[in-house]
Amino acid sequence: MLEQPEKSRPMTGPLEGIPLPAIDRLPDYELGFWQSASAGELRIQKCLECSKFRHLPTPMCPHCHSLLFDWSKVSGLGHVYSFIVVRNPVHAAIREKDQLPYNICLIELEEQEGLRLCSNVLNIAPEDIYIDMPVQVTFIPTVDEPSVVLPMFIPTLTA
Amino acid sequence: MKPSDINGIKDKAAIVGIGETEFSWDSGRSEIQLACEAIKAACDDAGISPHQIDGLVRYEMDSNHETLLVQSLGIPNLRHWESVSYGGGAGNAVVGHAAGAIAAGFCNYVVCFRAANLRSQLRLGQARNPERIAGGAQSFAAPWGNMAPVHHFGMFVRRYMHTYGATSQHFGWVAVTLREHASRNPRALRKTPITLDDHQNSRMVVDPLHLLDICQENDGAAAIIMTSPDRAKDLRHADIPILVEAAAQGSGPQNDGIIYRPDLSIAESVNTAKDLWARAKLGPSDIDALMFYDHFTPFCLLNLEAYGFFPFGEAKDFVDGGHNIRFDGALPTNTHGGNHSEAYIHGLTHTQEAVRLIRGTSSSQPPNKTINRVLSCSSVAQLSAAVIIRRG
Repeated sequence: MLEQPEKSRPMTGPLEGIPLPAIDRLPDYELGFWQSASAGELRIQKCLECSKFRHLPTPMCPHCHSLLFDWSKVSGLGHVYSFIVVRNPVHAAIREKDQLPYNICLIELEEQEGLRLCSNVLNIAPEDIYIDMPVQVTFIPTVDEPSVVLPMFIPTLTA
Repeated sequence: MKPSDINGIKDKAAIVGIGETEFSWDSGRSEIQLACEAIKAACDDAGISPHQIDGLVRYEMDSNHETLLVQSLGIPNLRHWESVSYGGGAGNAVVGHAAGAIAAGFCNYVVCFRAANLRSQLRLGQARNPERIAGGAQSFAAPWGNMAPVHHFGMFVRRYMHTYGATSQHFGWVAVTLREHASRNPRALRKTPITLDDHQNSRMVVDPLHLLDICQENDGAAAIIMTSPDRAKDLRHADIPILVEAAAQGSGPQNDGIIYRPDLSIAESVNTAKDLWARAKLGPSDIDALMFYDHFTPFCLLNLEAYGFFPFGEAKDFVDGGHNIRFDGALPTNTHGGNHSEAYIHGLTHTQEAVRLIRGTSSSQPPNKTINRVLSCSSVAQLSAAVIIRRG
């Protein structure tokens, strides 16, 4: 029998001990993202005049320059646009808490071409992640600040 | 007339002096001392006194401000000062700005410099976010572990490989060649030659980037002196006039969160390149040697494509095997060894090496080929800048 190379362990939740948003000090035009994640919903900033989604959040629509926006609920379905696997830490908590390797993925949401979030894909060995892999959102509170809930992704469960 | 057609600095500024400190892992001295030493060395090379300097162009990230520099160098009247934002993004841009100051007549002798203990003090390759982030691009990246330049740029590299079929071996040939150049350079920090196997076997830091794809962090300083072509005739290197022919900068969209750009397999410097070539009324075939900003080796390929040397996706064949980008190859590239193996001084050493190549004093001087015109450029990726310098 051919020996299979051992795969790295999957991520199962948010990294610990690393920087998080200071929810009480965020600009008003970013707050909706984090409030909806706490409520278990993925909502993306959407212009009320030209109807385009945007991420990163900005006070003004970069397309039509409207100041009017709302937080529009999206399906949470998307695919991996690009990804990396971190195997060397740049933050002490990654080393101290034995959190290597971990993946960082750019997830392109199905609602709009080029609409992407930076996140992690859980429940999969990093060696099995690939560009265009379909994923769906899930929400997990951070260990360090349970009020901060991160939208994370898992491989899409097929019916 | 479009802005891109106007070239107000063409041949109006001469590079007359270059100087640097030794490069090290721990300089053991202050950043202001490093700055003064490099500027004095550049003045000595030019044959002027620091008292003649009346213009300063800083990197915004540099800790050394005009006040203490004027005090320390004994500058009697600083007529012009400015800073260009960021670190690597200001490389080449400071040279363009300094040329602009000379062309406008704002000052007679301008120095651009970068001085920093980027190893023994602030290490830019490590996570630098506060523990709790008050919004902005970092707060939408760091909580998922995206905390350093190597993470952002790794996303570009993965997508580039996926789109165009470039492999880690192609990047490895860039690493091998830069190291070979450094092995011939007495100033270089990393002189031990490497093989493609060494590159492939080096630790995977952030898949797809190996350790030997990533530039070093070090201490040191570099400086460049410019003046008008007329004044240059009375200085030490009057026999080889070196002129700034054109300069350009460009940002690309979504500058705060670069990983959200429409296409991560193309560098923003396509904008910079377009303006540069239009202003210079030149093209890649007019260039004798290339200095590219090598924070990560794959950006050799992205630069070659963004600046029009090859169609998108086709630079990989040119760098394969390394011979074309060697000092004795078709396009001598980073003949000093670059950030990768000489020293990481945020790109100023690249323009210095361009000057050496035209003077004929590089430690890897191309044989049987006179270097008349060099492109020093970047695809940093937040923003980029480029200059063309030529023999006058």
